[in-house]
Amino acid sequence: MSNLIYLLLRRLRAPLITLILVYAISILGYVLIPGEDGNRDLHHMSFFEAFYFVSFMGTTIGFGEIPYPFTQPQRYWTLVCLYATVISWLYGIGSLLSVFQDPAFRQQTKLNRFKRSVSRIRQPFYLICGYGETGRKLVQELALDGILSVVLDPDEGPINELEVNDLPISPLWLRADASDAQILEYAGINHSRCSGIISLANDDRVNLTIAIVAQLLNKNVRLIARADTKQAESNILSFGANEVINPFETFASRLALAIHSPGLHLIYEWTTGPRDQRLDEVYIPHQGRWIICGFGNFGRTAYQALDSIDQELCVIEPDRNRRDVPAGAIIGRPTEAATLRKAGVDEAVGIVAGTGNDPDNLSVLMTAGELNPNIFRVAHQNEEKNQPIFKAAKLDVVMQRGDLISNKIFALIRTPLLGDFLRIVARFKNDRANLLASRMIAVMGGEYPELWEFEVNQKETPALFERLENGQQVQVEDLLRHPEDREKRSEAIMLFLKRGEGNVILPENNRLIHTGDRFLMCGTQKAHYHLQIITRNVKYLEYALTGELLPDSWVWQKIVEKYGKH
Amino acid sequence: MRTEKVVFAFFIVFALTLNFGFFLGDFSNVHHHNVYELFAAIVVNLIATVLKFGDRTHLGSVFLATSLVADLQLICAAIIWGIHSQVLGVEMDENTLSTIVSLSGGALLANIISIVLLVAETVNLRR
Repeated sequence: MSNLIYLLLRRLRAPLITLILVYAISILGYVLIPGEDGNRDLHHMSFFEAFYFVSFMGTTIGFGEIPYPFTQPQRYWTLVCLYATVISWLYGIGSLLSVFQDPAFRQQTKLNRFKRSVSRIRQPFYLICGYGETGRKLVQELALDGILSVVLDPDEGPINELEVNDLPISPLWLRADASDAQILEYAGINHSRCSGIISLANDDRVNLTIAIVAQLLNKNVRLIARADTKQAESNILSFGANEVINPFETFASRLALAIHSPGLHLIYEWTTGPRDQRLDEVYIPHQGRWIICGFGNFGRTAYQALDSIDQELCVIEPDRNRRDVPAGAIIGRPTEAATLRKAGVDEAVGIVAGTGNDPDNLSVLMTAGELNPNIFRVAHQNEEKNQPIFKAAKLDVVMQRGDLISNKIFALIRTPLLGDFLRIVARFKNDRANLLASRMIAVMGGEYPELWEFEVNQKETPALFERLENGQQVQVEDLLRHPEDREKRSEAIMLFLKRGEGNVILPENNRLIHTGDRFLMCGTQKAHYHLQIITRNVKYLEYALTGELLPDSWVWQKIVEKYGKH
Repeated sequence: MRTEKVVFAFFIVFALTLNFGFFLGDFSNVHHHNVYELFAAIVVNLIATVLKFGDRTHLGSVFLATSLVADLQLICAAIIWGIHSQVLGVEMDENTLSTIVSLSGGALLANIISIVLLVAETVNLRR
């Protein structure tokens, strides 16, 4: 605030001094110039009268010649003063308006308003650095889920769209560089309600800077960052990031999973995929020859992932000067049928188009499809706006960076335990993964996968907490009973239990629940609701545990107390 | 030598001298205190205040504060004078004049502090 006033005062110095001088000279003139009263006697205006007259003359209000009609010399002086005061007022007001229009001043006003609104936040919020395709999707999903976001982005463009948005919770935003520590502080990195920082810049170095600054300013804040290369990923992780998401790596490893461990692939899709889609069938490309077009970030990660599961690979790279292509790579334009034939498109099982150009990628896949109708086609979609044409091309898999990152981050925000869970599940053998996938399918029924987590504490699960505090024992399976009929089971399974530092995957039914346990659940929305009833309502919990129905009303309670139970 | 500094120091010193000139003399003697001098003191004080706008240093803030005090005291004195002569329409008496002069005395003190700060700032300049 003070910055603004200083800026304003500094800019208005000259007009203010002009105004003071013009007024002083005018007033002095009226006091000194002799006038006449009604009887044509000499009358000098007092300072008070002069100030009064100049005040209404300068502001062009003009009450007339006061206190007596003026003499000619006074009127001459009035003419001079009239123009001088009006011009100096116009000058002053003009300067004031130009200060308000000034870009520096407006940026300062915006910053002040932003700071004030951030300090007034009274609900948990996420700080999102970078508002591109990913940022927009994430902010939208968070808003639809009732979570406030604070958005920073240094560039003009998409962030200005936030000025007019129709989201249920309007995010706070500022066009500023998030790698600036001061800006991060303004944006609430030290705010007690800040649930985490999500760094989504396109440039790995910016993400790294944000990670370092965030770490130095607030060690305890949860940090999720995006990284496009392996080096950046490990570097950001070393600065204390909780989760780093490498879109290429994520996609490539999923692709590899789909080939060699379909069950695991399904689990990943259900837990971190979009909430309004469900994939039940896994495409299973046969083991065989894969063609990778373009050896950039995407191509390289796809190559490494497929190579690690021992696929036969052939790389086509259009750039002659690239040095790091693997041995046996074909240099040439992948959009041409001849090049594709040379790479063996006829007997290949799959082709990955990973160049940085969307039309090229489409062209490669269309040509490949004509040459070999059975080939499995994977595309990298670089720009969001090309979504319709990729859809129309009916490819087998399209990798869309923005969606991939925002879905995964959203899943991690909603269920933070997911990160740990997936890290453990990733080491599962095929059989175990398939078993887990079939158990998940069993509880999901025909609905979209619903994941949630809860902690056993006073606030989230009061009934359960109270019972445990009284020294009573509750088993995992008791919580999964149907609140209306205890013999039935809610359609949910416990995926993961975190007790202190210990992790338990798929806790067995007779495991005892302790206070402070955190559970990751999977099931239907209805099951989620049932579980909330049981853990929050003492009577339902009692029923689920013992089968006894407690009386609801006070009168009935008294009756039961008096006459005993039947 | 910088013109800005000359103008700045000029107005601050001028504000003090005019104020002092008005204050000087017998407390209750109407002939010792000229209304034109009070007018000039107010105008120069206002200009000095505006010149102090926009300095974000600590010293700058104190400068501005002293000037605002002086303005307040002098304008109060002028208002009392105006009410006495215009609203009540009587000759200046000893009681009112001593109030006016003592108010300007307070403004004088604020102006002196301003000068002390100016001198301190100048002495601290190692050039």
